[in-house]
Amino acid sequence: MDSTKQYWKGLDERNNSTEFVEKNKHEFAESLPIEDVLQEAGLSSPTPRRDFLKTMGFGLGAVSLAACTVSPTKKSVPYLIKPEEVTAGIPNYYTSSFKGASILVKTREGRPIKVEGNPACTINSGSLDAQAQASVLDLYDTAKLKTPLLNGVEHPWEDIDAYAKAGLAKAQAAGKTIAIVTSTVNSPSAKAVISSFTAKYPATKHVAYDAISYSGIINANKNSFGKAVLPQYKFNKANVIVSFGADFLGSWISPLQYTKQYVSNRNATSLKSKKMSRHIQFETGLSLTGTKADSRIALKPSEEGIALVNLYAELSGQATSAKLNNAIAEKAIKLVAKELSAAKGTALVVSGSNDEHTQILVNAINSLLGSYGTTIDLDNPSYQYTGNEADFMALVAQMKTGSVGAVLFLDSNPAYNYCDAKGFIDALAKVATKISFSDKNDETASLCDAVAINHNYLEAWGDSNPVEGYYSIIQPTINPVYNSRQAEESLLLWSDSTVKDYYTFVKANWEATVLPFAGKTWNDVLQLGFVSLPAKATSPITFSGDVNATIAIVISESKKNTAGIELHLYNSVALGDGKQGNNPFLQELPDGVSKVTWDNYAALNPKYAQKLGISEFDLVTLKSDTYAIDLPVLFQPGQAHETVSVALGYGRQKVGKVGDGVGKNAYPFLATNAAVTITKIEGYYELAQTQTHHSFEGRDIIREATFAEYLENPSHGSGNHGEKHKTYDLWKKFEQPGHNWVMAIDLNACTGCGACIVACNAENNVPVVGKDEVVRRREMHWIRIDRYYSYNEENKSITEEKEIGEIEGKMENVSVVHQPMMCQHCEHAPCETVCPVLATVHSSEGINHMAYNRCVGTRYCANNCPYKVRRFNWFNYWNDSRFDNYLNNEFTQLALNPDVTTRFRGVMEKCSMCIQRIQAGKLKAKIDKTTLKDGDVKMACQQTCPANAIIFGDANDPESEVSIALKDERVYYVLEELNVQPGVGYMTKITNTGLHEA
Amino acid sequence: MRNFSSELKKLHKLIAVYAVFILSISTLAYAQDKPADTSNAAIATALPAASASTPSGDAKAGEALFKANCTSCHALNKRVLGPALAGVNNRHSEAWLLKWIKNAPAMVASGDKEALKIYNEYNQAAMTPFPQFSDDDVKNILAYIKVEGDKVNTAPVAVTGVTAASDTSYSNYMIFGLIAVIIIALLVILLLNKVISTLENLLTKKDSVGITLYEEETEVQKDKLAVVKKLIKNKKLVFFVVLCSVITLGSFGWMDLWNTGVQTGYQPVQPIKFSHQLHAGTNQIKCQYCHSSAWKSKHASIPSANVCMNCHKYVQATEKYNGEISPEIKKIYAALDYNPETQKYGENTRPIEWIRIHNLPDLAYFNHSQHVKVAGIECQKCHGPIQEMAEVYQYSPLTMKWCINCHRVTEVNSKGNAYYDKILAAHEDIKKGVKVTAAVLGGLECGKCHY
Repeated sequence: MDSTKQYWKGLDERNNSTEFVEKNKHEFAESLPIEDVLQEAGLSSPTPRRDFLKTMGFGLGAVSLAACTVSPTKKSVPYLIKPEEVTAGIPNYYTSSFKGASILVKTREGRPIKVEGNPACTINSGSLDAQAQASVLDLYDTAKLKTPLLNGVEHPWEDIDAYAKAGLAKAQAAGKTIAIVTSTVNSPSAKAVISSFTAKYPATKHVAYDAISYSGIINANKNSFGKAVLPQYKFNKANVIVSFGADFLGSWISPLQYTKQYVSNRNATSLKSKKMSRHIQFETGLSLTGTKADSRIALKPSEEGIALVNLYAELSGQATSAKLNNAIAEKAIKLVAKELSAAKGTALVVSGSNDEHTQILVNAINSLLGSYGTTIDLDNPSYQYTGNEADFMALVAQMKTGSVGAVLFLDSNPAYNYCDAKGFIDALAKVATKISFSDKNDETASLCDAVAINHNYLEAWGDSNPVEGYYSIIQPTINPVYNSRQAEESLLLWSDSTVKDYYTFVKANWEATVLPFAGKTWNDVLQLGFVSLPAKATSPITFSGDVNATIAIVISESKKNTAGIELHLYNSVALGDGKQGNNPFLQELPDGVSKVTWDNYAALNPKYAQKLGISEFDLVTLKSDTYAIDLPVLFQPGQAHETVSVALGYGRQKVGKVGDGVGKNAYPFLATNAAVTITKIEGYYELAQTQTHHSFEGRDIIREATFAEYLENPSHGSGNHGEKHKTYDLWKKFEQPGHNWVMAIDLNACTGCGACIVACNAENNVPVVGKDEVVRRREMHWIRIDRYYSYNEENKSITEEKEIGEIEGKMENVSVVHQPMMCQHCEHAPCETVCPVLATVHSSEGINHMAYNRCVGTRYCANNCPYKVRRFNWFNYWNDSRFDNYLNNEFTQLALNPDVTTRFRGVMEKCSMCIQRIQAGKLKAKIDKTTLKDGDVKMACQQTCPANAIIFGDANDPESEVSIALKDERVYYVLEELNVQPGVGYMTKITNTGLHEA
Repeated sequence: MRNFSSELKKLHKLIAVYAVFILSISTLAYAQDKPADTSNAAIATALPAASASTPSGDAKAGEALFKANCTSCHALNKRVLGPALAGVNNRHSEAWLLKWIKNAPAMVASGDKEALKIYNEYNQAAMTPFPQFSDDDVKNILAYIKVEGDKVNTAPVAVTGVTAASDTSYSNYMIFGLIAVIIIALLVILLLNKVISTLENLLTKKDSVGITLYEEETEVQKDKLAVVKKLIKNKKLVFFVVLCSVITLGSFGWMDLWNTGVQTGYQPVQPIKFSHQLHAGTNQIKCQYCHSSAWKSKHASIPSANVCMNCHKYVQATEKYNGEISPEIKKIYAALDYNPETQKYGENTRPIEWIRIHNLPDLAYFNHSQHVKVAGIECQKCHGPIQEMAEVYQYSPLTMKWCINCHRVTEVNSKGNAYYDKILAAHEDIKKGVKVTAAVLGGLECGKCHY
């Protein structure tokens, strides 16, 4: 209303291309062939009448025949001996942990169906990321091996054990090295197992190596402070955050933890107390963190080092010869330095670089700012990533010489994710005994002689120690489905340990080490899921690195990379390092920024691509001196000029039918310098984007204000001051005397990570449709996160959408708003009035119900929904051989939530406000004869949101969190001018523009 | 119209005959059950006849004590949790028995040889101590065991043969009976037909005097066809018949369409002949004992076999099967691979595949605990007189109309439930005195059951 900004969801919309305008006229991507039929050709063709009669006749016959079948008898098979804790129909929750953070696993009749965060956990506080939410599908992955393999043939465990023991004994006798290659191991028990293995085979060398490495930071800390650790960052204590390419809200080290901390300084509570942190992001590609930044400056990877050098110079008062060729960045660095020095002690600078020298420079800056002990904790370090690729490089070299006798791969897949995979594969051929503990015959496992298949984490015992003083337990929630064996147990067996059973081992290890300190018993731990020891006191830290030498190295390094187009490799938020590549939930989760599913791509700035003569979805070859791949081009506003961004974690070859051949593997690029060449090649490849599918036609749906404006008037920009729209009721007012379920969404908190989408998928059996269907705009997600770019040319007020296209500029300076969008449960729901069969009606609790079995599939409701949140089932996605990437087998169907029906072909569906949870919550209150308290019922999306951006509750309870939230001055309703009276309120986005834009 | 009425009379008679026929068959079918029941009540276990010392106790007083305290683990003539007690007086001395019954675990602990032997033989499950018994009490019990145990030993053995014979003869009776009834029925029909035709002949003779016998015969034949022709020519009649058939067929069709998929009365044969009549009716076992999850969960759940074993480890109905374990109870044992001798579950288990009777479609969400625990509705309200069902059948139609009609009239059981206090206070209508039915609280809304 008061904003002159224009929002657009994609470049098509921004440019208002004729194709886009044409597409947008229609509700569905493909028009119905009515025109063809009505035209003369349609009627005079020889087909209609006779064929119609034939089809009718056949149809009637078939229907009557089908009606004659006797309804099948259904069997009901009770337990023979029912486990005491199982009651059919009642879920059980067990503590476990995923990537170190404590979780609760929901099981029904003995099968895990959903993963939730453990509300008591100090790392995730009850929330979870998309990967953890999707991990339950990994358990029911049909690509997993059913029995261990020896030379590619299924063998019993005795054979594997005999082979392994013989191989290990031989290597030991020959004096050759036995290598255990793992990704980061932070499990105390697994470490103990490895050391007991080493005791039996002294030639053992444990090499930890991570696909995405943070060894740069670890080495830098060793250099600067003598502590070779990954620190814990405290974003909640930082008032000014400056990030150089670190996507800490999306993929950097521990995004879940950082999102919680970051948002605590920017959410409604913080704003109420008139506090908001300031966040400046310097980066190449537009990352999730970049979209949340108050100021974002596009920077080439090679400029990052120079920018840091300049920042250090500004802060320390030293002069520097290194100059940035980027006027905007140069100006920004000066302002940033001012802001940082004003916030000494509450400032934090982070860098996503894995270069040791860059990180030493960052350490020097943080030292100057007094961040150590306040926003950075080196005394209570993080153990989430401890891998060191230098160790692995040395091992590969050793393997090449033939002095490695045996190699064991635990949770590591270098044939896929090592930068010099080819060199590794050649070296591996020279090792006599090769064993993988993978649960699949993946890229590395298929090169090994034996695959001693490991349990899924939901079948296994274990523990982890992700950060100092925090120990969590992994306990099995289902019996092993296949003939797998825990890797640690295999190691124990092969080292002839006295304890053969890993459960006993873990328990003994805890009882000996952690439990006495925590004052807890084993059973306590199983119930609580984790123990948290008091944090160690921080010691004064002095920077002892050589800054000048470092600066010299950084400058010389950055000069190397300037030729050609600079390649920026990043970690996709959904797929991470690619380990969960066979997970359909994650493959179909739209990227937080580009909204692309099922692919990686070469992201180019549209203006720069224009210069290169490349159009969107053109295929290009990216070529470094050692490696080349063909990728489709995606236009990414905000991308730095002369750079291209490519996501890691794609292009897997042996992960299973879902992930095989999806995207291209970019890991080999890590080996070379950042410069690549781009050549356009023949071909067009349409990416499956969910981006422009649900256009709002430029309506006023995003409202925002700056922090200064907010302080002046909290309702600034929300349209809440002044007159309200006059509302009229055509209908008799529908009372909601009991409950009135509503929702509030804080746009300032939402980071667009997409955890809610996957949580919703898992909770509501939302089908995965596959790439082709997404291209046809048939994705089924009940909740989506709309991402709106906005563009504000200085001194220019833009009122017409068409005018945006005329603006000249580099298109590097875009800002982004994420808006979660789901059914708004309108009081005057437009969908309800047009349904000819009353399949969608309103309830007395304020919810828009959808009775699937009544729906005849007219799709009128979807046409009439102004929010475009209704989804149509074009197929039986959960049981159709054409959609073989999801539930088309009985095994994976075990992951379905039995309290929610799977929808049939031809039926409309949409967000039900997790009605099964509401009903279950009410029933529990009725059974316990208590009132239903606020927070007893949580939506799946709300529960998992790391930013607590979604609040749900009863509006009839004036004390409820949601009632209080909806009284906030920032609250507005999307499209409230239509008088549909939505049940979901949004809070304006606030940008802390700080000094330089004020 | 005379001819028409006579046709109708014929029809009536035919119907009457068939009715008699069917009735006779069904009575026969019922009749066969009764003797079978009585004949089965025979017991034939032969224990070594013996009796040396007669214990000095009052068997009458012992009986009461025995039934109150011992029967949960012991029977006279077969091994249950503990050994068969008939003859126990001969196996052990009275002094030993006194000590043992009063405190068996102590005897086991003291290392008494006899005690240890029994202890080990019976899965090291120690006998419950009965310190409250006086010496006289124990003696009374032993007297009872002596008297009854001897009775059992001398029980007649020869009944089985008779039962077997009578079993086969009954099935023969049935066949002969059926044939006889059919023959009689046919004879009756023939006879009645003869009577009718003679009567008609007489009537026609009266009407047309002077026709020769030959003509008379052809006339009769012609007459038969003429009746039909005449009937077809009668437009009123044709209309009436057509109307009737349309109404009948139409209403049957209508009913059929409405009842498509409605399985009221569905009574499949179950793998085990479990009788609710016996368990819930005669034995008065509460529904909750077996279907405990109905009070907690959406499913009422068929109890797992180990719940059956709570009783059926002991209750084996041997008295009805000549000392053998009931074949139906044996099926539970077979499912669990349970060995009644060693009293242990085996490895070779086979789950019992019951046939599901009450099939709600997947699209409807029904929760037992909401109805049973919260609303306090009797199981019988939907499942019918379950305590009278030897074999369970579907009592209610389980249609949506049936659900909704009940929601419309059933008052919400809100008394003493804090959840409802707030909800009811918020409803304006309720303050005005509207009856609080499930429907008033939104119990008819689609999304309450369909999601």
